[in-house]
Amino acid sequence: MADPFDIFVLVKQVPDQGSKAGLNPDGTIDRAKAKRMLNPFDRYALQAALHTKKTYGGRVTAISMGPPPAVEVLMEALEHGVDRGVLLSDRRLAASDTLATAYALCKTVQWVGRFDIIFCGLQTTDGDTAQVGPQLAERLGLPQITYCQDFKIDDHRVHAERIIEGGYQKLDSELPVLVTVANSYHPLEYKSFRGAWRVQQLLRNEVEQKKYIQTVDLDVIGADPDRCGLKGSPTIVAATEKVGEIGGNCTMHEGHTASVLVEELLGCSNLKEFVKA
Amino acid sequence: MTEEVKRIATPKGEVLVVAEQILGELQPVTLELLGAGRYLADKLGSQLTCVVMGYNLADMPQRLVASGADVVYVADHPELYTYRTLTYRRVLVDLLESLAVPPHICLLGSTTTGRDLAPRIAAHFETGLTADCTELDVGPYEHKSKVDPSKVGLYEECLYAIRPSFGESLKARILGPWKNPQMATTRPGQMTPLKPDPGRQGKIVPIPVNLKPEDYRLVVAETLREAGKGLKLQEADVIVSGGYGLGSADGFQLMYELAACFSNSAVGASRKVVDLGWVPYEHQVGQTGKTVRPKVYIACGISGAIQHRVGMSKSGLIIAINKDPEAPIFKFAHQGIVGDLYQIVPEMIRQLGKVKSEKEVGTVVSTH
Repeated sequence: MADPFDIFVLVKQVPDQGSKAGLNPDGTIDRAKAKRMLNPFDRYALQAALHTKKTYGGRVTAISMGPPPAVEVLMEALEHGVDRGVLLSDRRLAASDTLATAYALCKTVQWVGRFDIIFCGLQTTDGDTAQVGPQLAERLGLPQITYCQDFKIDDHRVHAERIIEGGYQKLDSELPVLVTVANSYHPLEYKSFRGAWRVQQLLRNEVEQKKYIQTVDLDVIGADPDRCGLKGSPTIVAATEKVGEIGGNCTMHEGHTASVLVEELLGCSNLKEFVKA
Repeated sequence: MTEEVKRIATPKGEVLVVAEQILGELQPVTLELLGAGRYLADKLGSQLTCVVMGYNLADMPQRLVASGADVVYVADHPELYTYRTLTYRRVLVDLLESLAVPPHICLLGSTTTGRDLAPRIAAHFETGLTADCTELDVGPYEHKSKVDPSKVGLYEECLYAIRPSFGESLKARILGPWKNPQMATTRPGQMTPLKPDPGRQGKIVPIPVNLKPEDYRLVVAETLREAGKGLKLQEADVIVSGGYGLGSADGFQLMYELAACFSNSAVGASRKVVDLGWVPYEHQVGQTGKTVRPKVYIACGISGAIQHRVGMSKSGLIIAINKDPEAPIFKFAHQGIVGDLYQIVPEMIRQLGKVKSEKEVGTVVSTH
């Protein structure tokens, strides 16, 4: 085996959509109040990064971009066995679209240094675009493997299985490469209780925390603020509108026993026509 | 350069659709995009163009003309037989750079291919891209914010890329009129194709394929499609979908039992339960899953967030079963049952079972 691998994994903190906290009465989200969580798709990327380290050796660096509380997802990554974290946090990044985000992450990755492989989640649950991974790969001039559900590395090539409609592709790529991991990959293993506890104790000490998690801003990484945030974003959300009620006249069945409710349903609809003979 | 691309002068720039084929099979999303693209091009007064990459494409370019394209750029080359990020990217970047005027709009399918390729093109040209649009239109927009004075102004013909916004019952209109092409992807099943007209006239323009050594860093060893295998969510007449209200992965057993009552049925799922790993991704219905239009859609324990709704709202009959009478799904379902799905669904299976035996006997008897 040549040099140990330098493995990067990108993680993002997103609002928890399952929790009612921070949900306004009109159904909109109050991001300041919403519960925060690690983007669920990133758990697969984290598993891929830790698996790579375990199988082939190396060091895992988790990179995130977000407001200061995003340090929580880096701490979570460390509890799972990541070696160090880097958080890019800067007010000038507010309102960045995917292109501006990919620029800022590209500058961060280049600042952190050499890498062999970058893992990303397939997409985030708040943006839902799946664009940042490929846009970052383009900016870094890398090949990419998206929708990756399995891979192995040998002789400095990645052999991967990539989901496509109605099947999959087997492909292989030179290193370095950027991989977005599908949620049909292995789920994130449970963290060892003792290991996680040790990391928690360690990170409680601010001086120690700074040794493992670095927080940087645009000036530190040498990014051009005009290419970030609203200014660096070619798209804007120009308007939002309430979704019109379609149908809008739902026939409701309630307040009876299950058997009466189902009889009502079968009486009011043509469901019976679809029953297998 | 082996040959020069013919420049098609369109005053406003064309509307370009990037066609998608897998192993020589034209994907339906391409025809849907041509339908949407035709509308946009007519409204703009510009041309609808389409680029298709592959090998031995035979009559595919003609089919694209018949489905609405005025011009089809054809890259037919052995190295393009299967989709690869870097080779397809190269051909598309070269095509866009060769045009005298950049396309006004560029559309791709929101498929594993389109979602792989579109962001690379957008990043290369530093232009805006909106994913998973449910509606597309063009119209004016006045930018008033002075955060960036260079952006202020009235833009006459912007792409309105409309998509559901995060976790909310809201649609967001996303614009990026400052740079062309304005890019968007749409999910299969969202747009309506035109009726193919074999008599339609269009130009077919071969374009050069000049791959570079670095484009070979990524190679595809094999593309496997499992014909007839897997669930055909998009072809089912009846879909029984389960959500978080099922309480656990085991609840899907009940979904399969209910689905088994119907002919040509399949089991779907909300995104939340797919994220939780209760069922594989291929079952997911919604914005980031599949768009379905079955004759009957039965949603069990699904609240009906906008992301789910956009994937199934065009179903013929929507039946919702939910404990919470305030669940958003009752706002757009046709038939709603408020109650515990673990009581309702077994009762449905029982009563539908009776219907089945009646059908078998071929006589109609009362259910009482």
